[in-house]
Amino acid sequence: MRIQIKLIANFRELLPPGSKNGIVELDLPNGTTVREAITRFDIPLDGSSVIVLNGLTVDLNTPLNEGDRITAFSAIEGGSTYRQGDDDVRLAPANPAS
Amino acid sequence: MYGWHLRILRVNLTNKKVTKEDVDPKFARDYLGGRGWAIHYLYNEMDPKADALSPQNILIFATGPLTATPAPTGNRYMVVTKSPLTGALAHSNSGGEFPTWMKRTGFDLFIFEGKADGPVYVWVNEDQVEIRSAAHVWGKQVPETTDRLKVETDPDARVACIGPAGEHQVLMAAIMNDKNRAAARSGVGAVMGSKNLKAVVVMGNKNPPLFNPDGMRDISVDTSKNVGIDVKKGSNLRIYGTAYVPQVTNTLGILPTRNFLQGTFEHTDKVDGVALKEQYLIKHVPCYRCPISCGRLTEVPDGPYKGKGEGPEYETISSLGTGCGVSNLAALTKANYLCNELGMDTITTGMTIAAAMEMYEKGYIPESAIGMPLKFGDHDAMIAMIKKMASREGFGEDLAQGSYRLAEKYGHPEIAVTARKQEFPGYDPRGSQGMGLLYATSNKGASHMEGDVAYEEVFGVPIKEDPLTTDGKPELVKHFEDSFALIDSSGLCVFLAIRYVFSKDRMVWPERLSEMMNLTTGAGYTPEEVMKAAERVYNLERLFLIKAGSGPENDTLPQRMLHEPLPDGPAKGKVVELDKMLPEFYKLRGWDEKGYPTKEKLQELGLPA
Repeated sequence: MRIQIKLIANFRELLPPGSKNGIVELDLPNGTTVREAITRFDIPLDGSSVIVLNGLTVDLNTPLNEGDRITAFSAIEGGSTYRQGDDDVRLAPANPAS
Repeated sequence: MYGWHLRILRVNLTNKKVTKEDVDPKFARDYLGGRGWAIHYLYNEMDPKADALSPQNILIFATGPLTATPAPTGNRYMVVTKSPLTGALAHSNSGGEFPTWMKRTGFDLFIFEGKADGPVYVWVNEDQVEIRSAAHVWGKQVPETTDRLKVETDPDARVACIGPAGEHQVLMAAIMNDKNRAAARSGVGAVMGSKNLKAVVVMGNKNPPLFNPDGMRDISVDTSKNVGIDVKKGSNLRIYGTAYVPQVTNTLGILPTRNFLQGTFEHTDKVDGVALKEQYLIKHVPCYRCPISCGRLTEVPDGPYKGKGEGPEYETISSLGTGCGVSNLAALTKANYLCNELGMDTITTGMTIAAAMEMYEKGYIPESAIGMPLKFGDHDAMIAMIKKMASREGFGEDLAQGSYRLAEKYGHPEIAVTARKQEFPGYDPRGSQGMGLLYATSNKGASHMEGDVAYEEVFGVPIKEDPLTTDGKPELVKHFEDSFALIDSSGLCVFLAIRYVFSKDRMVWPERLSEMMNLTTGAGYTPEEVMKAAERVYNLERLFLIKAGSGPENDTLPQRMLHEPLPDGPAKGKVVELDKMLPEFYKLRGWDEKGYPTKEKLQELGLPA
């Protein structure tokens, strides 16, 4: 079955090169769950990520169906995808306390 | 006393009298500061039934105990007044640098009364207070006004001012500080304009004394360090600002699209944070002492929308962008610059134009009334409307009243998506039920900043809640409303506060925030006490609403939210199930079944019964 994974904002960099608009298509065996699909990417499965199936809040053990889309984004405060040297904007210092 | 200066500056613009008053320390402790202090003065000093644009209204600038302290993001102030848009309460928050400089004048609050007989600005340099003519900057836009007033006062001073929109008393006029920061909502700029008060300029070196300076330094450094750890991991707020949010709300089907006719937008990729960063971002710009730095300095380098300024942020994208069906990012960015320069709230501006677009497309407003076609997605028409609104020119006169009055005038009140006559922000509550209850009960009319349960329903901060269920939402909304009243009274920014100075439980708890307030003020608060004080503030605001004539009868939502199911996206078929939540909410608040605070609750809080 074919499904889509969409990763938002800073999670986009976890997608394979060439992915368009933060989306990748996967061909997975029937019965694959949300958790099994998403663990192919380096997304933390703790409370620091939000993972939804077709925009809905679901148990990560929910089995996928043909045409489903999993979307994941970092809970607002961060994530664990930072890689040194990625991005000048990101590395600019914060406002120094004065 | 520490933290608070316990001094208020009162400026009567009618008779040009300036007075400096002391504040009772017990009152200071019981009402926290900022928004809490301000509602006490508003409630006691003006008739809530008075016309918001009359000299009887008072305009309050209020800093909190943590403003101008080492606390990260201790850079906020509140503008509190009666709102001409809602006919009830306005309390709008802003950061930047002005609030810190204001607190350093040695006053916690400024209260402006009456009305000047011609344009003036007030220059506060610690104890030296002057009311000066503003005739030479009346009619000028925000950046020019700011620059000129700094030249003639002190180049290191900070300026809060209105633009032409405030002068014309348009009901979505903002008070802009440091050029690009806005106390935006509920028409606070119109109140300032009605008083002929063009600007307030501040300068000073009076940092409030701290009860425990070493402890305050340590807790501030530690809090900033925690933010820094997240920033190094890759903070979306740092990288993209709030502009990353359209992808999130679009995924959940709650992105306001074409005046809430839809919950998903087909061109989200064109107007999100990734596109903004790739095309127009110069750098991120922080407010004073902010380690998060979510502001965006951007530039559209050439073409018809050439310009430079700040934004757009999420709420601007969801109103002037998707709300109007606009997918041209350069035009949307330009529209944001215009709102900043003219001094207008982008949410109400955008959603009022969106309502006009829907009415035009449905034939409810003829082209002859508007002077041009006004279809969804027509970004040039949208920009033209913004200019007309700010000056009340032609159809701008209708738009300047906001969408509620606009829709009523043209015989279709069902088109306006407002609560207490204020336009919705960027979360369609049909797909986020808690936000629906929040908009219906918010003391300032529809606003996410009154108790943003989208943190949990949408962003999973600190715990992910199912946005489509009403279960547990009354409890959550009540708790977040009180928590936000606390944050707004403290002088901290919500972005930092919710994540770093509250506990990470579903019912976020202000352990670290109360500790910060103690290190600053020496007031010896427990977390329970600051939450109780916040509840006091919230209930006093409710009493103001009731007296102003916007009580429980207005705890409702527009027809589109209650009777028109979302046609698309994950929340397809949903309406807001308000009747499932409101009775329980009243009960949890200690209000009677009609929504009035009970005598027992008021006594418990020490409020007039």
